[in-house]
Amino acid sequence: MMSRPAGVIDVRYEQDIAIIRTLPQWITLGLFLLFLLLLPKLFPARYLLNVINIIMIMTISIHGLNILTGFAGQISVGHAAFMGVGAYACASFMTLWGLSFWICLPLSGLTAGLVGVLFGLPSLRLKGFYLAMATIAAQFIITSFFFHFKPELFRGAQGMNIEPVRLGSIVFDNQENLYYLILPIAALMTFFARNLVRSRMGRAFVAMRDNDLAAEIMGISLFAYKLRAFFIGCFFAGIAGALYIAFMRMIRPDQYSLMDSIWMLGIIIIGGMGSILGGILGTIFVKVLDEFMLALVPLLGSILPRELASRLSASMGLVVFGLVVVLFLILEPRGLAHRWEILKNRFRHWPFTYGH
Amino acid sequence: MYFFFYFLMSGVFLGAIYGIIGLGIVIIYKSTKVFNFAQGHLLMVASLLVASTAGRFGIIIALIITIVGTTVIALILERLTLRPLIGQPLIAALLMTIALSYLLEGGALIIWGEGLYKYPPLFPHEALMVAGLAVQQQVVWAFILVAACFTAFVLFYRRTLLGKAMRATAEDHQASQSMGIRVTQIFSVSWAIAAALAFVASIFLGSLSGAHYMNSHLGLKAIPAVLVGGLDSIAGAIIGGLIVGVLECLVTGYLTSELGEVVPFIVLLIVLLIKPYGLFGMVRIERI
Repeated sequence: MMSRPAGVIDVRYEQDIAIIRTLPQWITLGLFLLFLLLLPKLFPARYLLNVINIIMIMTISIHGLNILTGFAGQISVGHAAFMGVGAYACASFMTLWGLSFWICLPLSGLTAGLVGVLFGLPSLRLKGFYLAMATIAAQFIITSFFFHFKPELFRGAQGMNIEPVRLGSIVFDNQENLYYLILPIAALMTFFARNLVRSRMGRAFVAMRDNDLAAEIMGISLFAYKLRAFFIGCFFAGIAGALYIAFMRMIRPDQYSLMDSIWMLGIIIIGGMGSILGGILGTIFVKVLDEFMLALVPLLGSILPRELASRLSASMGLVVFGLVVVLFLILEPRGLAHRWEILKNRFRHWPFTYGH
Repeated sequence: MYFFFYFLMSGVFLGAIYGIIGLGIVIIYKSTKVFNFAQGHLLMVASLLVASTAGRFGIIIALIITIVGTTVIALILERLTLRPLIGQPLIAALLMTIALSYLLEGGALIIWGEGLYKYPPLFPHEALMVAGLAVQQQVVWAFILVAACFTAFVLFYRRTLLGKAMRATAEDHQASQSMGIRVTQIFSVSWAIAAALAFVASIFLGSLSGAHYMNSHLGLKAIPAVLVGGLDSIAGAIIGGLIVGVLECLVTGYLTSELGEVVPFIVLLIVLLIKPYGLFGMVRIERI
């Protein structure tokens, strides 16, 4: 984490706190960003872009959960519902007031953040499993709110639709344009998350997670910081939700179920709790796994007898998720991000084997 | 009035099932500090086991197979997946039991499929007449069994050596270890007890609605019941179960069934806001 290549010496404070320290790192980052920018031109496959778009949207939401659960230690089992709040907020602002998407995007983040603060209020007195279960309650209450409340606006189980997002003459209705809509926001949010967790607030979150009583004695107001953690975590979810509705152009209340919230927790375990890089790696891992399973279903149908194949394909999602999480928890509880660190250190110390 | 009585009856019955599921969760939580999300799934496995073996071997043998089978599954899960997590943060244990519940549900889907299995009739169908009102016999049995479980567990924790060892383990793992209690053994025992309780609850749920892989979702609604009562209180689990069950049935009966699904969670939030450790939970004083 803090290790750096031999011969790199920080002489100024700014160098010491910089995220990107060396010239090769700058070059790598530049090349990576260039690659991301040119990706739709290099690989114009619609299917691939579709998957990448979903990964980027999910990444934003996962950053939020990572800040809330991985850094601030407040377990939330209702994160998908907050994403739903963002999506519904965006859709209703657009249909009710006819606002443009560009105003609705921050507004829906804000709405989700405020709803998050509302459901985060019990966290002031609750801890551990009690808090986790209170957020499950949030999940159920929010979902059924959109199901039954104001059917003339939210339209119940049928859900809401929106027009494609426009910017001047550009219409974001195909995968490539959507890619260019989502990429800058995802990059910006990742940068924001990465910087936030090493700011004063991020350090307060970590102190609160590691020992809340000790943190309070050191002058961190638990009241303020828990609510801030909920606001920021849910703000990310809201932005992701608004982007998701720009991407799908429709939303239904059952799109954000308890299972999705649990998947998100699984993703931060797989990627590595309390690591921004881990959030990205975990999302990619899970989404790619998902696509593999989808591809496997027709294959199973052709090999196995029909009855067994249909049973297997119905249960595959559950079994694979269960197995992956169980294996990660037992074998690598610090997630893919930790593996990546080990790999980096191996490479750096090669041909010596120590130092990891 | 008749309807009210009827809703109340089914509420008590449902509440008894929640209470027994909740009891299993509480017993595991008390000694291992793990919230067992998969308790409802153990119940589902138990009900499917009974339903699929009763036709071939007869009811008695099916029940014996099931209680042994469920206990063995629970012990294997505890040994293989939760034992390695001792000392890991809370979220690891939480996600582990959620993952286990997915594995159990997926496994049940592979073995039994999506079909609804008929549960062997265990309770006579004739209703008892009490003051002009018909009371189904299974409700009476459920009530008796809940009362029996409650008394048995109170006595078990107060009187027996094993019960006292379990209480000590709940208090402090290291201190009880140095007093000669094998903590790992206590973990196994509490999972075995929880499996047996899941089996008991499965009998009532099976007689109510048959055996199906979605039975497990009842376990999800037992969660507010446990937390309303307090995570570490035996009386709390049962009273919380009854409160949630009765409220759910009354709301479903008088308002809508969709609202009935959410009411337990709304009650949970309100109770937690007022009493963060549930109605009967022990308030912990923390030190650094």
